Amino acid sequence: MSKPNLRLSVRPLGGGCCAIDLFGEVTAFAENSLMDAYTQATGAGATTLLLNFSGLEYMNSSGIGLLVTLLIRANRHTPRQRLLAVGLSEHYRQIFELTRLNEAIGIYATEAEALAA
Amino acid sequence: MSVWLNSLWKKLFGPPAGSAPADPAPAPPVEAGASPAILDLDIAPHDPLAAYFQSAPHPVEIDKLNFDSPALRQLKANGTRLVVPLVSQGELIGLINLGPRRSEQDYSADDRGLLSNLATQAAPAVRVAQLVRQQQLEAQERERMEQELRVARLIQQTLLPRELPQLAGWNLSAYYQPARAVGGDFYDFIRLEDGRLVLIIGDVTDKGVPAALVMATTRSILRSGAQRWASPGQVLQYANDMLVGDIPPKMFVTCLYALLDPASGNLVYANAGHDLPYRRHRDGVAEMRAIGMPLGLLPGMVYDEQTVQLEPGDSVLLYSDGLVEAHNPQREMFGFPRLQACLTQHPGGAGLVDYLLAERAGFVGPDWDQEDDTALVILQREAAADDGLRPLASFDWPSEPGNERLAMEKVAAVVRAAVDLPPARLERLKTAVAEATMNAMEHGHKYQPELTVHFEVRASATRLAVQITDHGGQPMPRAQTPDLDAKLAGQQSPRGWGLFLIEKMVDELNVTTDGQHHTVELVMHIPEAAHGHQDA
Repeated sequence: MSKPNLRLSVRPLGGGCCAIDLFGEVTAFAENSLMDAYTQATGAGATTLLLNFSGLEYMNSSGIGLLVTLLIRANRHTPRQRLLAVGLSEHYRQIFELTRLNEAIGIYATEAEALAA
Repeated sequence: MSVWLNSLWKKLFGPPAGSAPADPAPAPPVEAGASPAILDLDIAPHDPLAAYFQSAPHPVEIDKLNFDSPALRQLKANGTRLVVPLVSQGELIGLINLGPRRSEQDYSADDRGLLSNLATQAAPAVRVAQLVRQQQLEAQERERMEQELRVARLIQQTLLPRELPQLAGWNLSAYYQPARAVGGDFYDFIRLEDGRLVLIIGDVTDKGVPAALVMATTRSILRSGAQRWASPGQVLQYANDMLVGDIPPKMFVTCLYALLDPASGNLVYANAGHDLPYRRHRDGVAEMRAIGMPLGLLPGMVYDEQTVQLEPGDSVLLYSDGLVEAHNPQREMFGFPRLQACLTQHPGGAGLVDYLLAERAGFVGPDWDQEDDTALVILQREAAADDGLRPLASFDWPSEPGNERLAMEKVAAVVRAAVDLPPARLERLKTAVAEATMNAMEHGHKYQPELTVHFEVRASATRLAVQITDHGGQPMPRAQTPDLDAKLAGQQSPRGWGLFLIEKMVDELNVTTDGQHHTVELVMHIPEAAHGHQDA
């Protein structure tokens, strides 16, 4: 697990909302950086985490496993945190539906739509 | 003199079959003038009388001979006075034995001259008669052997299957050619009630009726065993135990017994010392090995059992030694390497019979005398109905973490260049390829970089197939069906989405394992009109 090919940026949006921008690959290699970003956003007091997938190049089943891990942490956080997703391609949107991740992570086309919800 | 000639003929042409040899007991005293009893005289080769007669082709007075000879004693006891040896081309072929003259006078010089002339003229005629008789006996013997061959051939041909079983999705062909001296080759098909098919090929050592009878017995034993046990090894063990007590000494049976599940292509087989079958796969031709002793040699044998997965297009050849042991005029054998090369060159199936026979005919030349029976059975799994799949690319990738994405992009590039697959479906295929590649690298190869994952990309007008093969030979352990709620509740690992994703991404998922390779085939149907086709 030596070559994470994922760049992350944590971007506070105000109102307890924090965006995490993902650029590159969400695979098993992304575990540390994704969890770091989560810790950073949570440390900034975020209760809504907005995952921005518009820079996503590739996500595999291990990446989906990471999202499930992230969901578990958000669900168990006090107060419970909300996960939203924007910028998903049609393909990954379908995968979210097949895995039913879309029932636990709100999917929106854009940040503005997500924030308005 | 008629009585004596009668004795002569009897001597020359042998007693009727089954009669006892000459009675050595002394004959009763012969009264003068009475006809002596007919004498069956056998002169042993080392008896000095034989050499004497041979060197003296003229009438011999028996009373004047005085040396130690059993035949001479017999002649004297029988009352023989005069013997005229019949010699043809230096060989003693018979005797004219005369008793006392009826006039009780001695034989005169004239008598002897007459007898000598008679012997000289009779000897060649008797010799001719002997040769004719000998030829008649040989002809009778030949006829007897022909008759036996006819019986053997009849037994064998009556017991060979009259028709081939019809199996949807499979082609079966068989060929049998007896040699002049019929051997004990046989093959058999047994359809089981559950739809599976038993295929048998065997060879009884020895020839003729004994071999045919052992073949018939073996066939019956195997037929009853097939109904009792689903395990080929168990059936052979049973057959061996049944045969070992009854089979004639020095005879045994080699036999290959295979059980086919036509639905899955699974073939389980065991071998009792028979020539190894060959499997023709698209990757090459391989022997199907399994260890076991021929039937009927030793009690208590057990038989190794092996399994092979026959894929569409695969052929299996069962054969007897008449094929590989055919010799050319230089006394070279057709042999296994040549057979294997033939199989590599031919696409398999029913045409393979003619191809192999033609190859053998070309090898042995026109004057070949078939030494042994030839039996061939060919089983072929039909290629998938729409399997006009043409190869697009074939490559290997080392098993290193992260390589699945590179392999995925490579497959995508190949597909984009050759197939009109809608982009959304291509994305699905890519995800499935990546997941299957990860499984191969991780579960099949434990991420050992020197082990490579093999990729085959093929397409027809309607289908696109990507085969991903690893050398693990084991199917991937089937994970629980992932359930998000269970995962969120901590009842399942957050991971374990791979196979689930593959199944959801592709139109067909075919998994095959042969103990050495594990292949996942991902198939996408190509819509007729790619444009305007919305992905479901």
